[in-house]
Amino acid sequence: MPSADAAPAPARASRRAGGRRPRASARSGTVGGSRRADTLAGYAFLAPSLVGVGGFLLLPVGIVAGISLFRWDLVSPARWTGPSNYQSILTDPAFGRSLAVTAFFVLLVIPLQTALGLAAALLLDQRLPGSTWFRAILVLPWISAPLALGVVWRWLFDPSDGAINQLLGHRVEWLTSPTLALPSVAAVTVWTNVGYVALFFLAGLAGIPPQYAEAARIDGAGPWQRLRRITLPLLRPTTFFVLATGVISSFQVFDTVYAMTRGGPAGRTEVVAYAIYREAFVDFRMGRAAAMSVVLFLLLITVTIAQQSWFRRRTTYEMG
Amino acid sequence: MRRAVLTYLALGIGAILILAPYLMSVQTSVKTPRQFAQQPPLAPPRPPTGANYAELVVGGHTLIPPLVVTVQVVVVVVIGQLTCSVLAAYAFARLDFPGRDAIFWVYLATLMVPVAAVLVPRFVLLSETGLSNTFWGIVLPSMFGSPYAIFLLRQFFRAVPQELLDAARIDGAGHPGVLRHVILPLSRPILATLLIITAVTHWNDFLWPLVITSGARWQVLTVAVAGLQSQYQGNWTLVMAATTLATMPLLVLFVLFQKHIVRSITITGMK
Repeated sequence: MPSADAAPAPARASRRAGGRRPRASARSGTVGGSRRADTLAGYAFLAPSLVGVGGFLLLPVGIVAGISLFRWDLVSPARWTGPSNYQSILTDPAFGRSLAVTAFFVLLVIPLQTALGLAAALLLDQRLPGSTWFRAILVLPWISAPLALGVVWRWLFDPSDGAINQLLGHRVEWLTSPTLALPSVAAVTVWTNVGYVALFFLAGLAGIPPQYAEAARIDGAGPWQRLRRITLPLLRPTTFFVLATGVISSFQVFDTVYAMTRGGPAGRTEVVAYAIYREAFVDFRMGRAAAMSVVLFLLLITVTIAQQSWFRRRTTYEMG
Repeated sequence: MRRAVLTYLALGIGAILILAPYLMSVQTSVKTPRQFAQQPPLAPPRPPTGANYAELVVGGHTLIPPLVVTVQVVVVVVIGQLTCSVLAAYAFARLDFPGRDAIFWVYLATLMVPVAAVLVPRFVLLSETGLSNTFWGIVLPSMFGSPYAIFLLRQFFRAVPQELLDAARIDGAGHPGVLRHVILPLSRPILATLLIITAVTHWNDFLWPLVITSGARWQVLTVAVAGLQSQYQGNWTLVMAATTLATMPLLVLFVLFQKHIVRSITITGMK
């Protein structure tokens, strides 16, 4: 899920309506209705979403923290064990490796998809005839099920029946080699995301007034200089959005791993989301899976806050 | 001129890299297992066969039941999520009541909750209430509105001029009337956007249906495709026909509504 303060279009809409937090909303309900009626109506309108947010987001956060303190296999009664699940996973080399695999995956995917997405956006932004078609083609993987695409790539990477080794002309064990498996999964993720990232950079580029680049050109700046000194700094809010959403989603990658490697070979592609799934629904160790979920949650919060403060020091942008 | 040529060249290479996996999987899906085994993977099928598709539509491995379940899931989630999100967004944007801002901040905070981290507790919650391996087990977690949709809708609802609402109230409309006759007609673009994004997300969803269902009765398309893959390892012609069938409806939709879908992605930033 993307962070709230970077949503581009609606923020503009509310600004047009007359600035932040319009007082209008305080007046609105009182036309012909009492304050108590408004309160009643307010909670009535909120009721269904309170069930959703309370029951399926907030309550689960509490439950997962609770389960993490028990030993439980879903069949026999749960047994209180205190923090021992945390001790167990944090000293387990498999979970340590899983965290390392996830970090490595994120580090492979994010720079590549951001750079390629930006490059694609700069090409599309020249608005040559037919650009719309290229844009549409680039976005195709984004609207296809990651699971189905993962299965397709599982075939393409197949050592003997796959298309890639036929094109190369020799046999490479892409998904069973301990060194190549994770980069292969990362490559597929980048392939899926590039068009999506490009769309956001395109929207960002469209918001930069052309006069800036024009003025720089008159002052004698070359294309590379204009990109570095003008375009990239002005794209910073977009870059933040793309990085923040990209990091959060690649930290939770699952479908592609499930389809391509099932975490193998020997755990070399077992990202955290897959480890949680295996622990809970293959090995039925709910307590350990819950403890891993809590660790993932804390990790993502830390990463999000770190990213935000890092960018906030360098940029100012409008809050929605 | 030279620059245009280079741009087209780069875009062309990108387009080929994106399209090639789709085209190659379609090509494999119209081969017989014999053709596939005897020729190199990229050899064209001579003659092409529809046998794999027939097997997946009317044969023993029919994907029609999973397709029906998937469509039901998408329809129920889209209607539920949009309705509940619209109601909540109206309350946040246009009503004044104690606790409103506090609740709104709690909703925003839940944007930080990663789906992978609530997988286990959601499963426990629904299986303890007897809803695992049921239709409601699949749809309940997402049909009561999403904080992000609420956030986006609230932005749009706040931009509706107050005079329009006052006029409707003076004419005697209550809150439901104002919402239906004033706000919703003005919010069509954002509603269409959310509809598209929600439908795509839940058509493609895999992890939750995988966890909460077992067996054939409530299998969705993605789970069925994954099942075929593990059951028929090496029978790539059948599996490629299945992935083609599973992705085709959205690709057709995409070609038809390309412009709108592209805009929707940038507006919401959702997947």
